[in-house]
Amino acid sequence: MSAALPMSDPTSPDLPETTAADEPTRVPLRLEDWLTVVSMALLALITFANVLVRYFTDQSFAWTEEFSVFLLIVMTLVGASAAVARNRHIRIEFLADGGTPQRRHRLALLGALAMALLFFVIAVLSVRMVWDHYIYEEISPGLGLPQWWYSIWLPVLSLAIGLRAVGRFHRLRRAGVQA
Amino acid sequence: MIAALLFTIFIVAMLAGVPIAAALGLAGAAAIAIADQGTQWFGLLAVPQNFYAGLGKYPLLAIPMFVLVGSIFDRSGVASRLVRFALAIVGPGPGMLPLIAIAVAMFLGGISGSGPATAAAVGAVMIAAMKRAGYPDAYSASVVGAAAATDILIPPSVAFIVYSVLVPGASVPALFAAGMVPGILAGLALIVPAVWLARTHRMGAREGDVERPPFWASLREAAWGLAAPVLILGGMRMGWFTPTEAAVVAVFYGLFIGMVVHRTIRVRDLFDIFREAGETSAIILIVVSLAGIFAFSLSTLGVIDPVTNAIVNSGLGEWGVMALIVLLLIVAGMFLDGISIFLIFVPLLLPIAQHFSWDLVWFGVILTLMVALGQFTPPLAVNLMVSCRIARVPIEDTVRWIGWMLVAMLLVTVAVIAFPQLALWLPARLGY
Repeated sequence: MSAALPMSDPTSPDLPETTAADEPTRVPLRLEDWLTVVSMALLALITFANVLVRYFTDQSFAWTEEFSVFLLIVMTLVGASAAVARNRHIRIEFLADGGTPQRRHRLALLGALAMALLFFVIAVLSVRMVWDHYIYEEISPGLGLPQWWYSIWLPVLSLAIGLRAVGRFHRLRRAGVQA
Repeated sequence: MIAALLFTIFIVAMLAGVPIAAALGLAGAAAIAIADQGTQWFGLLAVPQNFYAGLGKYPLLAIPMFVLVGSIFDRSGVASRLVRFALAIVGPGPGMLPLIAIAVAMFLGGISGSGPATAAAVGAVMIAAMKRAGYPDAYSASVVGAAAATDILIPPSVAFIVYSVLVPGASVPALFAAGMVPGILAGLALIVPAVWLARTHRMGAREGDVERPPFWASLREAAWGLAAPVLILGGMRMGWFTPTEAAVVAVFYGLFIGMVVHRTIRVRDLFDIFREAGETSAIILIVVSLAGIFAFSLSTLGVIDPVTNAIVNSGLGEWGVMALIVLLLIVAGMFLDGISIFLIFVPLLLPIAQHFSWDLVWFGVILTLMVALGQFTPPLAVNLMVSCRIARVPIEDTVRWIGWMLVAMLLVTVAVIAFPQLALWLPARLGY
C-alpha cells in the first residue's frame, strides 16, 4: 500500500469559526460582513495601485493614505462588531469557561455587558469629539476635507458594537444556563 | 492608589473572561475619570481621542495585509506542494515527516506573518499524512503547533509590526532582519526533539510505505511557492516596496497562484477569505487601539516610573531583571495571546530596557521569542488550538510531547539573551 500525500489542500481546514453556523441575529451579520470585505478589498487594491503607479509613472499617490487610514478604522469597527456577535474577541477562556454551568452563564453575561458598556461610553463621548471637529471646522491634514466627515463614523459604529453586545446579552439570557 | 485600582479592575475582568479589549478600555477609562475628577467630563474626552488616534495610524495597515496573506496562502495549495518537494529531497524514513512539517512551517513563515495561519496550512496537509504513516495524532499536533511558532520570528511577522508601532526606535526592517537567525535556530532546535521522540518511541512505522515523489516534477510544482518569500523578503531588501506594500504584492501573488495556477481558490471563496482576514485583523486592531487608552492612563497617572525604579533598584542586577522578565512572560504566555502581551507589557518593560541601555531591536526579538513560546504553551496556546482541532485531539493530550519542544525553544531564547549578536548581526550587516 502506498500512502501518497494529498495533492491539494482541503479547501477549508476544519476550523469552528468558519464551519460553525452563526447564531441567528435580528440584524443580519451579512451587513458587517459585506462592509468588512469591501473595506479589506479596497485597502488591498489602493495599496497595490500605489505600488503600480509609483513604478509606471513618477507620480506619487500619497494622498490615498488618508483614505486608507479611514478604511482601516471602518474595517476594524465593523469587523469588531461582527466579532462581538460571533463571540470571537480575544479573552482568557481558561477560568471563565470552566466551573459550573451557572458560573459560566453569569460570566458570559458579564463579558457581553462589559463590552456594551465600554462601547456605549465611547459612542457618547465621541459625539462630543465629533462636535468639536464640526464647530471648530477642523480640516483633515491630507486631503483638506472636514474632519467630521471621517470622525462621525466613530460614534455610529461604536453604537453598533454596543448594540451587538446587547444582542448577545439577550441571546444568552434567552438561552438560559447551558449544561 | 488609582494605579492599584486600574490593575485590579483590569486583572479581575480579564480572569473573569471579559474580552481583553473591554478590560483594557474600561480600566483605562475608570482610571482617567478618577484621576481627573475636577476637570470637565472628568477628562474622559481623552478616551475617544486616544481610541481614534490609536487606530488611525498608517503603519497599522501592515497588520490586516499580512493577516490576509496568511489566509490566502493557507488555501493556495502551496503547503502541500512544498511538502511533496521536501519529501522528494529528504526521502521517507524514520522521523522524516515531522522534520518536513517543521521545515515547511519555517518556509511558510517567510510568506505569512502569523502562527495560527501557518499551523492551519501545515496541519491540513501534514497531520493526515503523518497519521497514515503511523504517528500518533497528539504528537503530530504538537509538532505542527510548535513549528508554526517560528513563523512570528521568521520575517514577515505581525508580532514585529505591533512591536514597532509601540517602540518608535525599532524599525520594521531592522526587526524583520533581526528575527531571521533566531527564527531559523528555533526551527532547527525543534527538529532535534521531534526526530529524537519519533525514533525513540518508534513512531511512523509505516513511513517506509510513503512514496518518494520525483525530484524535478515536485520542484516544478513547488516553484510558485518557493518564489514567494524571495519576492516578499527580496522586494523589501531591494527597497522595491515597504513592508505593507510587500504584503499587498504577496496578496495578489497568492491570489494568482491559488486561483490561476493551482486552482484551489474559487471566486466564491474570496468573500470568506476577505471576511475572515478582516474580522481577525479587527480583533487584533481593536485590542491595539483600546490598549492606547490603557497606556494613556498609565502615563498620566505616572505609575510607570515608580515601578521601573523599584525594579531597577531591587538589587537583582541587569541579568536578574532579565530573568525576572523571562519568567513573567512565560507565565503571561500561558494565558494571554501574543498581541495582548506586547500591548500590556511593552509600555511597562520599555523604561526598564532603556535604563539598562538594552538594544531595543534585540529586546523585541527576545519578547517575540517569549510570545512564540506562549503560542504553544498550554492551556492557552493559539497554534496548538488550531493543530489540535485539525487532529481532533484535546490539547491535554499534547502535554506528553510539547514539553520537549518548549525546552528546545527556551534554549534558543537563552542563547539569544547570552549572545545578542545572534539577533543583531544580520540587521547590522544589512545596514538597518
